[in-house]
Amino acid sequence: MIDAPLPQPEMLAAIPRLRRYARVLCGDAARADDLVQETLARAWEKRALWRPGTDLRAWMFTIMHNVFVNQRASSMREASHVSLDAETESGRAAWQVPVPPAQFTRVELVEVLQRVGRLPAEQRETLLLAAVEEMKYEEIATMLSVPVGTVMSRLSRAREKLRRMADERPAALKRVK
Amino acid sequence: MSAMPITDDDLMAYADGQLEGERREAVEQALARDSALAGRVGAIREQNAALRDAFDPWLAEAIPPRLVAATSGTARGSRLARHGPALAAAATLLLGVALGWFGRDAMLERSGTPTSFARQAAFTHTLYAADQRRPVEVWANEEAGLVRWLTRRMGTQAHVPDLNALGYALVGGRLVAGNERPTGLVMYENADKQRLTLQWRLTKEKPSENGEAAFRYVHEEGVSVFHWVDDDCAYALSGPLERTRLLAVARVVYGQLATPGKAAPAEAPPGGAPASPPGPSRTQG
Repeated sequence: MIDAPLPQPEMLAAIPRLRRYARVLCGDAARADDLVQETLARAWEKRALWRPGTDLRAWMFTIMHNVFVNQRASSMREASHVSLDAETESGRAAWQVPVPPAQFTRVELVEVLQRVGRLPAEQRETLLLAAVEEMKYEEIATMLSVPVGTVMSRLSRAREKLRRMADERPAALKRVK
Repeated sequence: MSAMPITDDDLMAYADGQLEGERREAVEQALARDSALAGRVGAIREQNAALRDAFDPWLAEAIPPRLVAATSGTARGSRLARHGPALAAAATLLLGVALGWFGRDAMLERSGTPTSFARQAAFTHTLYAADQRRPVEVWANEEAGLVRWLTRRMGTQAHVPDLNALGYALVGGRLVAGNERPTGLVMYENADKQRLTLQWRLTKEKPSENGEAAFRYVHEEGVSVFHWVDDDCAYALSGPLERTRLLAVARVVYGQLATPGKAAPAEAPPGGAPASPPGPSRTQG
């Protein structure tokens, strides 16, 4: 019954993961959904290029990554004062911790999100793909068009920074409430 | 004995489950010798678990209708956009199935969608059949264990039909969170990588007055589903098959699951009673 090469149910099923990835990239929920919408539109246009039987998630993630990188590049051309360094204050300010569902407002979880938000975009992205999405390093490298070594070094730097941030947490904050 | 030293990258790849072959063995030997190394692997895994705990709840959030509309290339204001809220609710529900541990009652309530077993079966099918790496939790090579596990968790004897004669080999199975009760799922695949799933769960619904089952057909979100009730279980067979072909498979499944000597039921007329009525109307099937 599924005639179209890209059945809508699979695209629908991919939306939550696309939104999560987008939010990690953009750091802001509204802009993230714009990115998802753009990604879905591109995926629809390019649906003939998707090979059935291959991983739709990886294919759509790749589209999203490319859309994001291109958008960022053009916004940087328009505003030359925007620093290329993702670790600047403006880069950090862009990252806002979305409000998790009420059941999950446990202090530690919010802190984990905040710490991830303080990482440079490339590290956040790689960390999400490897640790949360559990993608293979090689898959991530292909997706991001970088060598596997780059994926691993981003990942290990991200993990090290998260560890240090967790250790730096003032003792008073370690208690809930 | 002292092979290549274990690098940080080795430890990380090992913790992420991405190390194979000789390096994996070398790391395992080193971990057995050195508790500090083992501690570092443990720390990475703990960090991964904390990240998943923090980020997974995002997946359960309701999907904006404009994004649902975008999956069919339609712009706002189109026919699909109007149906967007219902589809968004359905997609949210789908995730509820994915995140079995997540408060699924709240999810169902929020989605506001009437959730028939067949509809859930279609979503669950779409979710897992599309999964390349982990479509099932227990693979076919452990079929006996799968049957024992599902029987225990579902409180009713599980039977896995043999569809090899139809060209469908067992992939494996899993337990999925149902609306009220856990649902068992077994998946099959043919040479064209086409996947079928059979899902079943205990039900209070009676087959029919005369104790006969009827096959009901629905088409949900691109998936064909035949469902029926027999004895104390509701069954749903889902797949991207054309109706008559899926019905042929459903008959075989029914034949293997039903009490010996019982004839396969007729297909219920569209929109008809849940079971085929006795007598003349059965000729419709």
